[in-house]
Amino acid sequence: MAEQSTSEQEREIPTIQKWIAVLWPSFLVAGVETIVFFTLFDPEYVFAEYEVSRTGAYSIGFFLFWAFAILPCLLTMYFAKPCKPCASTRDGKG
Amino acid sequence: MTKAKQAAGAQTADSANLEQDLYQKRKKIYPREVHGLFAGLRFAGVSTLLGIYYIVPWLMWDGRQAILFDLPERKFYILGMVFWPQDFIYLTMLLVVAALSLFFFTALAGRLWCGFACPQTVWTEAFLWIERKVEGTRQQQIKLDKSALNRHKFTKKFTKHFIWILFSLFTGFTFVGYFTPIRELTAAIPTLGFGPWEVFWILFYGFATYGNAGWMREQVCTYMCPYARFQSAMFDKNTLIISYDQERGEPRGARKRGVDPQDVGLGSCVDCSICVQVCPTGIDIRDGLQYQCIGCAACIDACDDVMDKMGYPRGLVKYTTENALAGQHTSIFRPRIILYATVLAAITIGSAIGIAYRPMLELDIIRDRNSLFRETGMGMVENVYTLKLINKDVRAHEFAIGLEGVDGMKLNMPERVIRVESGDVVEAPVSIEVDPADLQKRTTQIHFTMKARDDPELFIVEEARFLGPYPGR
Repeated sequence: MAEQSTSEQEREIPTIQKWIAVLWPSFLVAGVETIVFFTLFDPEYVFAEYEVSRTGAYSIGFFLFWAFAILPCLLTMYFAKPCKPCASTRDGKG
Repeated sequence: MTKAKQAAGAQTADSANLEQDLYQKRKKIYPREVHGLFAGLRFAGVSTLLGIYYIVPWLMWDGRQAILFDLPERKFYILGMVFWPQDFIYLTMLLVVAALSLFFFTALAGRLWCGFACPQTVWTEAFLWIERKVEGTRQQQIKLDKSALNRHKFTKKFTKHFIWILFSLFTGFTFVGYFTPIRELTAAIPTLGFGPWEVFWILFYGFATYGNAGWMREQVCTYMCPYARFQSAMFDKNTLIISYDQERGEPRGARKRGVDPQDVGLGSCVDCSICVQVCPTGIDIRDGLQYQCIGCAACIDACDDVMDKMGYPRGLVKYTTENALAGQHTSIFRPRIILYATVLAAITIGSAIGIAYRPMLELDIIRDRNSLFRETGMGMVENVYTLKLINKDVRAHEFAIGLEGVDGMKLNMPERVIRVESGDVVEAPVSIEVDPADLQKRTTQIHFTMKARDDPELFIVEEARFLGPYPGR
């Protein structure tokens, strides 16, 4: 019964909310990370070997931060999936 | 926990119906046009804020853009001031002030921000306005969406999206104009000679505007907005909320115009559902305070209008407080408000003083990374540094570089006086020589001084280390 209701509830979470839960927090964190990182480190020095403008470095940096922040969000979604109760608890023995 | 908190915050167990609503598949919301006091105020707010956003990058100051966040040059120009990455703390302070203001206004007047000033509301209003101009009233929009795709529908939809996209691109263009001088950007329009990253960000920001204001709308408030989820924590019984007067309204029901509610055994609510139709987030205010409510007060205007037509007194849905609803006194000056106001004032004044008195000079001393020290052919010990002279003042100055250290230390640099333009950085390689016999320790503290020759008040002293061999070796 419990299992059914959680999976039902999960099904009822709109897809849009799932997308947002992954893309949006990571976007916010990436924004903050970009500001802090590039305030401390001037891309002119950090990426001196690459032919990239500062604006380009900020932009690439932002999307890298975003990509890296998407990973933990996806993992959180994955681990937030309801677990099946083990056989003993389900049968009321535990 | 107050009733308002319960209702506005997380859903409680007995409001399971609301929870179901929250997780239902989204139905498209067609907010009905509304006129009245609050609609007027929102129009004023929206047009002022949009005006500020689109006009500000065009303002000039001393021959340059007045507000320019020059990321490629790593300098922020705000009117007469120039901010550097080193001034990061002021940005942080600004964010703290913004957050505290939000707390203050929330405690005082509820979700004023959401209903009248949030960019999501502001751009959604603009997009709704365009939608109404093209597709017509709420009823016409619903009819259009239900109809099969024909030439008429295609033309309407195409026109709407075309205008939306143009407006979004203009928004993205203006956004980039805060970071790249907007006059240069405009000059590049005929040839489309933008830099690749400028193009990218115009499209990215334009797409975000189009998506959020055209498609996502109230879902941004419901699912994305962190403030919507925690704003109820700032609420108390004296906070302004939009509320339906249950006592007066119920039992609701239809009746003829001008009928006294008591004669037919009804409350004042005529159950016309216009308050639901005007709601941009699609809720029914008569169900009580809900966290989807952005406090736009459209339902107040709508209901007042209906009450006028019925010949009933206004205010069945109104701005009120929980205390007022319970027939108690509403107090404005309460500890929470005074606390927020005090902290807000203190930090604002502190930041203003900090900015006014922030150091106009900076001297960065970078040690040569390759060697700790060098012995010269003459038996002296030498350390090499690079000095970075930063002039944040609005005028250029000539700076004299000095050294305070051990007696007999000799500062070698090509020019002892260096001119630094306003808002500029000059790097100067220097070396210091000293007889090792004069060194007491392996590490000696020294001080570089940088003094403006035309202003004795303008100077800075920075500490550095001089490294030598172990004494006595």
